[in-house]
Amino acid sequence: MPLFAAGISHKNAPLALREQLAADEDKVREILRDLVGGGMLREAVILSTCNRVEVYGVADVPGEARAIAFRHLCRQRGVQSASVEGLLYTHAEEEAIRHAFRVAASLDSMMIGEPQILGQVKDAFALAQGCEAVGPALHTLFTQAFAVAKRVRTETEIARHAVSVSFAAVELAKKIFAKLAGRAVLLLGAGKMSELAAKHLVEQGAFPIYVVNRTWARAQELARALSGTAVPFEEMGTALAAVDIVITSTGAPAAIVTRDMVARVVRGRGTRPLFFIDIAVPRDVEPGVDALPGVYRYDIDDLQQVVDANIRERLREAQRAEALVEREVAKFRARLGDVEVIPTIVSLRERLEEIRAGEVRKTLARLPDASPETRDALEALSAGIVNKILHAPITKLRESSRAGAHRSWLALVHELFGLGRRS
Amino acid sequence: MHPHLQNIAIIAYVCAMGLALAHLVQRQALVHRLALLATLVGWIAHTLALVVLAIEIGGPPLGTLPHAVSVVVWVVVLLEMLVERQSGVTVLGAFVMPVVVVLSLRSSVARPVTLAPVLGNAWIWIHIALALVGIAAFVLNFAGAIMYLLQERQIRHKRPGRFYHRLPPLQTLDRWTYRTLALGFPFLTTGLILGAVWARTAWGSVFAFDPLAFFSLVAWVIYAGTLAGRAAGGWHGRRAAYFAIIGFAALVVTLGAGLFLPGRHGA
Repeated sequence: MPLFAAGISHKNAPLALREQLAADEDKVREILRDLVGGGMLREAVILSTCNRVEVYGVADVPGEARAIAFRHLCRQRGVQSASVEGLLYTHAEEEAIRHAFRVAASLDSMMIGEPQILGQVKDAFALAQGCEAVGPALHTLFTQAFAVAKRVRTETEIARHAVSVSFAAVELAKKIFAKLAGRAVLLLGAGKMSELAAKHLVEQGAFPIYVVNRTWARAQELARALSGTAVPFEEMGTALAAVDIVITSTGAPAAIVTRDMVARVVRGRGTRPLFFIDIAVPRDVEPGVDALPGVYRYDIDDLQQVVDANIRERLREAQRAEALVEREVAKFRARLGDVEVIPTIVSLRERLEEIRAGEVRKTLARLPDASPETRDALEALSAGIVNKILHAPITKLRESSRAGAHRSWLALVHELFGLGRRS
Repeated sequence: MHPHLQNIAIIAYVCAMGLALAHLVQRQALVHRLALLATLVGWIAHTLALVVLAIEIGGPPLGTLPHAVSVVVWVVVLLEMLVERQSGVTVLGAFVMPVVVVLSLRSSVARPVTLAPVLGNAWIWIHIALALVGIAAFVLNFAGAIMYLLQERQIRHKRPGRFYHRLPPLQTLDRWTYRTLALGFPFLTTGLILGAVWARTAWGSVFAFDPLAFFSLVAWVIYAGTLAGRAAGGWHGRRAAYFAIIGFAALVVTLGAGLFLPGRHGA
């Protein structure tokens, strides 16, 4: 069952080319029908996202088929296949299995561990199933790829730490406050990024939300969007005393939250920490507040530093994930071998049983007076011979599949016993 | 029989400590499971050792300080396993097991002083038992304080290191140190009062110098101050954590004094 994966991705192909090649669902359906219906491939799945366009397939004739399949796809998308040829990667057999596992597990993604790719692979698979382009080989491959992706996700931390500034801020808030539910948030200024961070906090249960902005209308608008309350600019100090998390993003030329202001507020807070997320440049919160007890202040550079540290952590975890994928590939190869060998073993048994039963019938027809004991003895004798003969070839086939060298043996067995076309 | 069990327990605790520390750095689920297993094996061996010991001496194994410390360790390990299971803070072992190992080794190398025969009385068992539960709670208090300071440092310095993702949130840790303090303090207090009352009836004076009594009073004053500061003065965070560590240092000195210095607890 020659398996292959061919395509282009963000790793080697420019965005312009990826855009051109990417196909929508209808187009993918059409191409799948051409490829599988037209007999070029026995099975096919096409994965088309903004970062990669790939064909996973099974062909009778390896080698040629991948190039043909991809060339067909290029033609369909109106792309000169010559411009793709040099960028095209093709993986066969074990390489293809590894590639499928790595893609589904988000190890081949632009941002390692990003969660969307698994959903995209699942969609691509479902689409191909809908077109009846998926057979036993790709079915086994993709089902296993989903399982591997899930293992990677739960057993390593490649997807766990925030890699965007706004998520890093939320993650920090969670490391300061045990729960975000019921934490009051103050938005100072109404920038896009602070709105995003505030939305994440609201999703985690932060409440209530106060919005302070120089433009009253904008404050009200944002407050509505976040189900919060707009507060006049003059009452900023009062609001500061009432909240746990402050997100600032004003365009003010100098700090508007001073150390003295915060020192006054902190005195009355008891044990509650106060967390400043300062996304503004120039900064809105005086760095001096860092020295106050229970006050934590992160500006945009600090948050970027956290993001960088998290990305490094992801890369470290990715190495563990790669090792996990490697083990799964080895396991899968052995399983795939069994899957390929079993149909041959079954048809071999059937073929010999057919011969045996036929011969016994013929012999018995010539012996009308045979006693039931004689009949039983004949059956037992012939069955015994068949089993003895089959024992060695079946053992050999199983062994070869475990060693991954069963292809030539399969061909030989089919040839010798006249088993016809393999499926 | 019980020295062997005791040794098995200590070896298992040392393994558990190593594995727990490795888990803190490496975060392999398998390492954590092995650490839990080693802890459990150690604790079971420890339990058997204490039972055998109790049968041998025909009473609770609290008659000598090394035995009493061994019981403290037993309580601490039990609490650690329960709390870790319940709270899901898988790194707890890395902070508790080192203390467990230090205390176990200390109690096994100390001279086997017998508590003064005059102490053989039911009141005294209660005095010892209460003090031990108090100390066990303070071991957890200490572990929580160390975790708090590590996590606080990383967040304050804006350099989330290896442990940033692994340690619990600051407020959780702060609440933890408060709770363990509030739990341990009444036990320690009652234990000390019983001891003082006993000392008065037995020796005629509460203040007759005894190193263990003296240092435990010091520890008590530190913990009392911390608790008062937390409850009334709104202390929390770093300050509370520092005091938890100072208090625990005093407790360790107390036990060390009891184990190694001559005094009325080990006549």
